[in-house]
Amino acid sequence: MKGTRRLASCIASLLVVTAAFATWPRTPAAKAQQKPAPEVKIDNFSFTPPTLTVAVGATVTWVNRDDIPHTVVSTDDPKVFKSKALDTDDKFSFTFTKAGTHAYFCSLHPKMNGKVVVQ
Amino acid sequence: MSEGFLGTAAPWTADLVLLLEFAMAVGLLFGGWLARKKRFGKHGRCQSLIVLLNLAVVAVMMVPSFHNHVMPKIPAKLGKAYYALATVHGVLGVLAEVAAVYIVLSAGTRLLPEKIRIARFKLWMRTVLVLWWAVVLLGIATYTRWYVSGFFRS
Repeated sequence: MKGTRRLASCIASLLVVTAAFATWPRTPAAKAQQKPAPEVKIDNFSFTPPTLTVAVGATVTWVNRDDIPHTVVSTDDPKVFKSKALDTDDKFSFTFTKAGTHAYFCSLHPKMNGKVVVQ
Repeated sequence: MSEGFLGTAAPWTADLVLLLEFAMAVGLLFGGWLARKKRFGKHGRCQSLIVLLNLAVVAVMMVPSFHNHVMPKIPAKLGKAYYALATVHGVLGVLAEVAAVYIVLSAGTRLLPEKIRIARFKLWMRTVLVLWWAVVLLGIATYTRWYVSGFFRS
């Protein structure tokens, strides 16, 4: 009886350890496989990347890494999205729920423009 | 908002204001030259026209821009050149414009009471001319900081 209990507890321990090893390395790998959130960097009077392709439902975040303010304004009429003036390190996010191409620009510096292609 | 025509990142309106302000500052120097040539009538008309034109440019173009982009950030962000240059330019600009209007009213009209009219015209006019040019140079620095890549950048 004692031997059976020992065997059962050994098997249970082995199962726990196996399960732990089986799941532990998968978490970082799964994280590595996740796509980073789509982001557009604003720096030196430009949007990078100038054209970003995302899936329907994706949330795009613009981050101002420049040392002067910028805005992100859709060129669509009526405007689909429009940020306030973003100071250094400020962010603006927008979720694209419809497929299509959305052009945008900086209203303070009209030469700065970019595109989000939603597929 | 349309793109500018000077090849910088500025909108069309900012380029127009820059050129207008520079032209007006040169115009004031020309007006000063007219005074040296004793053509006081033309001198008065030239300087008055520029002072009034500048008042319109300030009211229509610069005050709204300052109100929207700079006012909400001061005093918190005065440590940044972007806001500091614009603020100093704005404060000195208002001072120069008020002083210039005061000279125009004192020298060219009888609207002001005798007591508060200026007497030492040359000193006042030359001082305001120097201040005006300092403001214009600060305006150019502000334009450069706001719209030109690579200048005054950290």
